[in-house]
Parts: sequence; C-alpha cells; structure tokens
Amino acid sequence: MTDPGGRLAAVRIERVGDAALLAVVGEDIDADLNAWVHRAADDVRRGRAASPGLEAPVPGYASLLVPFDPETCSEDAARALLLAALGRTADSPPRAAGQPVEIPVRYGGADGPDLADVAAQTGLTEADVVAAHAGTVYRVFLVGFVPGFPYLGVLPDQLALPRRATPRLRVPAGSVAIAGRQTGIYPAATPGGWHLIGRTDAPIWDPRRDPPALLAPGNRVRFVPA
Amino acid sequence: MLEVVDPGLLMTLQDAGRPGFADLGIPPSGACDGWGLAVAHLLADAPPDGVAIEVTLGGGELLVAETCAVSLAGADLGAEREDGSPLRPGATHRLLAGSRIRFGGSTRGARAYLGLAGGIAAAKVLGSAATHVQGGLGGLDGRALRAGDRLVPVRRGDLAMAGRAWPAGIAPHPAAVEGPIRFVPGPDLASVPAGTLEELLAAAWRVAAACDRMGIRLQGPRLPAGAEIVSHPLVPGAIQLPADGQPVVIMVDGPTVGGYPVIGVVPRAELPRLGQLRPGDDIRLAPQEAEEARAAWREQRSRFARAAEALHADAVWHRLADGAGG
Repeated sequence: MTDPGGRLAAVRIERVGDAALLAVVGEDIDADLNAWVHRAADDVRRGRAASPGLEAPVPGYASLLVPFDPETCSEDAARALLLAALGRTADSPPRAAGQPVEIPVRYGGADGPDLADVAAQTGLTEADVVAAHAGTVYRVFLVGFVPGFPYLGVLPDQLALPRRATPRLRVPAGSVAIAGRQTGIYPAATPGGWHLIGRTDAPIWDPRRDPPALLAPGNRVRFVPA
Repeated sequence: MLEVVDPGLLMTLQDAGRPGFADLGIPPSGACDGWGLAVAHLLADAPPDGVAIEVTLGGGELLVAETCAVSLAGADLGAEREDGSPLRPGATHRLLAGSRIRFGGSTRGARAYLGLAGGIAAAKVLGSAATHVQGGLGGLDGRALRAGDRLVPVRRGDLAMAGRAWPAGIAPHPAAVEGPIRFVPGPDLASVPAGTLEELLAAAWRVAAACDRMGIRLQGPRLPAGAEIVSHPLVPGAIQLPADGQPVVIMVDGPTVGGYPVIGVVPRAELPRLGQLRPGDDIRLAPQEAEEARAAWREQRSRFARAAEALHADAVWHRLADGAGG
C-alpha cells in the first residue's frame, strides 16, 4: 500500500471506552480527508463479514469510529483491521459525485429569523447572504447529531460566523442554518445554536421511509431560493 | 394485557437498542440500564431482545386488563398494588385483572423495568422496538407512553413465572455498588489543558436537573475548557467538556457526533450505573484501564449467566415436581 502525502503515517488511533476505537485522520473540514473517511468506512463495512467482532463504523468529518466486541476481536486486531482499511483507501479515486440534490428554501422573515443579524455581522446585504448561501454547491460531510441532520460544507468564507452565544431551546423542523464553515438543516424540532437563515419543506427525515434520511454522506446539495 | 392510566414523569417501551445506525444520526436508544432490562426479561422468561416498560422516577399507574405475570427490575420506584402492598423489585408478580400498579417514587435510582411474561408487542423499526422520541422511532408510534395506551403480550404469558426472584447470593445490580463511576480516559485529552483530567478526578460532581435519556449534565468546579474540535462520533458514556467547563455524559438517546473534547468514556459494565443516576445525586469519577473494564464486563456477563442457570434449574425442578404430583 502507498501513503501519499504521509497521510497514513499521520493517523492517530484513540481508544473510546472499552469497546471502540477512533481513527483521527486530520483536524480540518476538508473534502479530500472526509472522502477518505467514507471510503474507509465502506471498506470496513465490506470487510465485516470476514472480520467478526467489528461493528458498524461511524464517520466524522476527519475521523472514523469503529466499535468492536472485545469478546470476539482483540483491541490489537481491531486496530490492525482499521489501519488496513485506511491504508487500502488512502489513495483510491473519490466516488463519482452525482447531480446536486436541490433543496428549496424560503429565506428570511419568520422562516429565517437570523438572516438580518447574519447580514449585519458579515457586513453584507440580506440579498448578498442569500446569493452566497444559494450560490454554492455543498457536500454532505456527515449525517449525525440528531437523526438525519446533514452537516454540509464548505460554507463561503464571508458567511462564516461563530455559533450563537445562547442556543435556542427549540429550532423549528426544516430550519436551514449556518455556523462556522458549515451549513445544515434541522430535520426535527430540537435545541440548536446555529444561525437560522431560512426554512425548507423538503422531507429531510421520515422514519417511515427507507432510508429515513433524505441526504447521505458524499451527496452534493444546492439550496434554491423558493 | 396492561393499560397506561398515567405515565408519570416518563414511561417508554425499550429493548436492547438499535445499534449500527449512528452514521444516519440515529443513536442506539434502548434501556438506559441494560442490566435492569435483562433482569426484567429473565424474571418474566421473556426473550433477551424483547420489550419492557422503562419507568422513570415514578409517579405512574397501570391498569391490569387481563390477569398476567409481570417482573420488576432496576431501581425500586416504590411499586405497589392498589391496597398499598409493595411489589418487590427483582421478582415476578401475579397481577389480577382489574387491579392497578402504582409507582410511588423512590430515593435511590432513576429507572425501573417492567417485563411481561409473554413479552410486550411493539413493531420494530430498523431492527429494534426501542423508543427514540426525538427521531420518532420505535415504541408506539415513535412516542412515549400516554394514558390509554394498551400493551398487548406477544403470546400468552406463563402465569407460573410469578414468584420467580433474582437468586439470593448473586450480586443484584451494578448500581448497588458504591464508589466512583469508572471511565476509560480519552480520546481527546490532547485537546484540553494539562491538568484537566486531575481536576475531574479530584472534584465531587452533582447530577444536574438536566439529566435524561440524551445526557447527564454534571455540576461542580469549573474545569478549564478545551477548544472546540472538528466534530467526531460519540458513544453513550462519552464525557464531553463544553466551553462552560461542566461535563456532560452522553446517554443512549444522545447526539451521535459532537464538537466538544471527550475526556473519557464510561465503559459497558458501568453504563447501568449511569442509567440509574437521578438529579441531585453526588458522584465521583475515577479512571480505569480498558482491560480492567473488559474484565468487569465479562464478570457481569458470567454473573448474569449464573443467575439464569439457577432460575432455569428451578423451573425444571418445579415442572418435574408438578408432574410427579399430578
């Protein structure tokens, strides 16, 4: 196996409790690193039949969690399997990106109560904020936090803001929000600290659908002003 | 058959959980105290992947619509018949049609598990009937139990299970143990200032009011907070350190990824103790080697297997004795 750019040599494997390992491949929101994480996750999934004891892998932005059953697979064996999966996928070509999924959004007003504030903090007009947010094709880096919540990136630099100082106790379902270099969609009403700039009726999460989440890691997404 | 008269603070249907879907943001859910759930199933002679009622902190009431045998395990939440006679946890009881069970509340432990001989019917979603309220998954229509809900057995239950009890001489519950809750340090110790771990160990922590199936907030001295990190996956038992320096322990319905440093993870054998914490409890935390944690898990499993064998042997003996008598 090759190790382009020394990426494999830089991987840290950390213990997570007594029955999981976390491979940390980087500290950034980076499409290449994230694509590697998902390729390695696929590799682990494919290999699970032959590696009893490894459980379903969970990708992060630049990390991969692999739970294992210490009664059937030693920690050393799990570590070796994880490193092998990362090694096999370090330089394989990225999966082909499909057509972007279009998400219609009603920006501003009651649907995006923070739009004016985001405009003020970034020194842009509301129309500029909408144009910048809707003018970018995003990648689904991961799905997590709550069922179906897509973490999308990379948000244009001029829209990057820290999270709100005080999180809202209830963010309405379908809210389209930004924080840092990320944008996301709240699939259900939950607490949340991101800036709400719009809202969509797209069915982001439906527990009666298979799969229940509309967006999967690696999907491309474009927001379309409704 | 049972009918919910009053769910009290919270009653949900739970099983051993829905692992394997965290990549969709779906947490494992299931019983907060897996040991309590397993004991409830064992005592009711229900399958290990079956469904039980998780009763939270008490205050609930059930109506017995049809004579049945129910087991109680986990915390003693003051369960009693309508005449006030107590229904002991760690045992199976015969309940007559038309009678009621009330959960009066308790001073120790947070969750009781009520198992039904014959099992409780609930549709599986993604391989599990565990209720995850935030995601609308499992249980009855993806929600907590409410007044009027009827719980139907999977099959006719064996009333002879009444009288079954956890064998004397086998340690009853991991939460009966005193002493600090153990955690395996890491994975993000490099992202917190030096000395944070030592301060975590030295302090006494009080369980805050924000203590539920998603997470447990701890109150104590303000720890030096780490920087936010690029979000990585979380597991139940993860001890996160947010910016306010007050740790949050992730529970079975909690977020599947997070951007705060995780300074330690409570291992499998200690999770039932977390599931029995209640607001106002005072706890301490202590580090544990991963190998020691795995040994504790194996010990717990073998203890459970010994109890199961003892009860099975009892059941065989009773059947033989009944046969001889008939």
